[in-house]
Amino acid sequence: MRDNCFEIGTIQAFLDGELAADVTENVARHIADCDACALSLAEAEDETAIAFSALENELNMLVPTQRLWLKINDSIEQRQSSFWQRVIAFLSAPTSLALASLLIMFGLFAAVTTLRHAENLSPSVAQNDSINRNVGLPVIEPSINIEQNPLIDELPAIETAVAVENKNDYKVTKTSLGKTKKLKKVTEQPKLKFAIPNFETNNELKVNNKELRMPTNALSGEDSYLKTIASLTKTVDIKKDETLKPSARFAFEKDLAVINDAIGKMQVEVRKNPKDESAKEMLRTSYQNKIDLLNSVTEKSELMASLK
Amino acid sequence: MNRNNTISLKFSFSAILLLTFASFSIVFSQTLPSKVPLKIETSKPVWKNANRVSNEGDTPAEKSIAVSENVNISLCVAEGSLKINGWDRREVRAYVSGGSQVGFTIVEKGKENTAPIWIKVLGFDPSANKENNPDECLAGDTIEIDVPRNAVVNIKSKVNEMIIDSVAKVTVENDSGDMFFNRISRGIEARTYEGNVTVEQSSGTMSLQSTTGNIIAFDVSPGDIGDIFKAKTSNGAITLKNIGQRQIDVASNTGSINFNGSFLNGGQYSFGTSNGSINLSIPLNSSLKILASYGFGAFNSEIPMQNVERNVPSRVQTLSAQMGGGDAALKLSTVSGAIRIKKQ
Repeated sequence: MRDNCFEIGTIQAFLDGELAADVTENVARHIADCDACALSLAEAEDETAIAFSALENELNMLVPTQRLWLKINDSIEQRQSSFWQRVIAFLSAPTSLALASLLIMFGLFAAVTTLRHAENLSPSVAQNDSINRNVGLPVIEPSINIEQNPLIDELPAIETAVAVENKNDYKVTKTSLGKTKKLKKVTEQPKLKFAIPNFETNNELKVNNKELRMPTNALSGEDSYLKTIASLTKTVDIKKDETLKPSARFAFEKDLAVINDAIGKMQVEVRKNPKDESAKEMLRTSYQNKIDLLNSVTEKSELMASLK
Repeated sequence: MNRNNTISLKFSFSAILLLTFASFSIVFSQTLPSKVPLKIETSKPVWKNANRVSNEGDTPAEKSIAVSENVNISLCVAEGSLKINGWDRREVRAYVSGGSQVGFTIVEKGKENTAPIWIKVLGFDPSANKENNPDECLAGDTIEIDVPRNAVVNIKSKVNEMIIDSVAKVTVENDSGDMFFNRISRGIEARTYEGNVTVEQSSGTMSLQSTTGNIIAFDVSPGDIGDIFKAKTSNGAITLKNIGQRQIDVASNTGSINFNGSFLNGGQYSFGTSNGSINLSIPLNSSLKILASYGFGAFNSEIPMQNVERNVPSRVQTLSAQMGGGDAALKLSTVSGAIRIKKQ
């Protein structure tokens, strides 16, 4: 052995390829001239060969590395796959299928239950709902205040419009069943929108072409007027398009608006002072004018029919 | 392994699709009935299945028939302009140019003689007609009918213009078009849905209506005590001058009322508008009891009034007053118009 022989650790490192390039060259040149180091290297190679052969299954790094790369590649592919592919992949899982089925069944049950509940609603409610859809929600156009109606004692919770002092003195408030409140003048005049309640008595009229209601006891015989008007209006709505020419239709709508305006004004006055006979008389006359106007459409339709 | 996955995948999809379809079916079966819009029966006019019988001749259709002096004449006119004139003959003559044929049918004859007391003027000749279900209405460019002066005329029409002169009584319902009545001796009942109504130098009970149109009447007098005068229009002005009836009822929805004349003792007069002014021009020495109601308008009188009482219970003001001895009752009412009384 020469003095500058390398240690076994260095030789092992040389064997494992762990040395630097210049050191590896020196070690290789030395081993070529030194028999002792060459022998040590041979022994180390033998030992390494024995060790690798014994641990081949555990230390076979090639196979796990490929599997790892396969997994990595699969993961990358999954990330790059389309939405539907991922959905399909998700749904294909048994747990997902079970969850989806459960949700669908729950949705079905909820839908059927809701619909049956709707069918069990009272006819009046359903009717009112349909009327509401047909009529729409009126809007008081000018800035007015509407105070709670003191004359309606036994009505469900509704929004009621009632005159107080004049057309500028209104306020919208909600009232509950059986409650009345005293009128009070309201000074502020916010712009308000209000929904019109649906009464079974169908006692309705229009202000500014918007439907309003009034107490049935404000004017004797008012129900008859209102029912007649409602009936005629239905008929006229069906016939007016085919009966009236555009010019006549325009005049009709204009006249109707004027009459409705008169009715609205007189309604307010009658509400304000139920003993005002002049206002009552004007209100009756306005109702009669509206009936006459509506009748004119039906009579004209009949005349046209008789003349083919 | 791959095959098992494929089968599992197909099964999963099939199950989900089936459940989804079932759920939609159930939901739609529950909701559809309420979603169906209400079927509205549109009532169309029952048109008369009639065939117009045209005049194929070179000359206008013309026929005449002998009738009673007080004959009732019924006719309908589908189109054209109509002119009815009273004459001194006991005969009805009908003339139609540029349209239908003409003919008569006797509805009723008099008991004492064979002269008809009620006839229909037709748009075809019943004696020569071979058409099935012929149209009874006259139609043409010009339709002229001469009738006895004492005739009573009943008309349903759709004519652009109607002139009736010198007959006893007229009852007419016209679809659209202007109507003129002159020298009608025993009353007029006229209704047009679009057009003006003009009456002059006539007497008897008057009932004049127009849905869209003006009403003008002057020199009208009662035929008998108690004859009334009524005029009503929805969209138009009413102008009256020298109306002699003691009961006058005038109403307009959107139009002014103008009255020029005298209020007679014991008369009852009513003028009302929704959205129009009431203008009265009366003699200074009128004798009236006035009751005026005006909601959003005003009252003004050039003629002095006594016993004026104003009542303002609300926006609707009432005024009661008297002019002279107060022999006639005058009621004035307007919702949004002004009331003005002027002296002649």
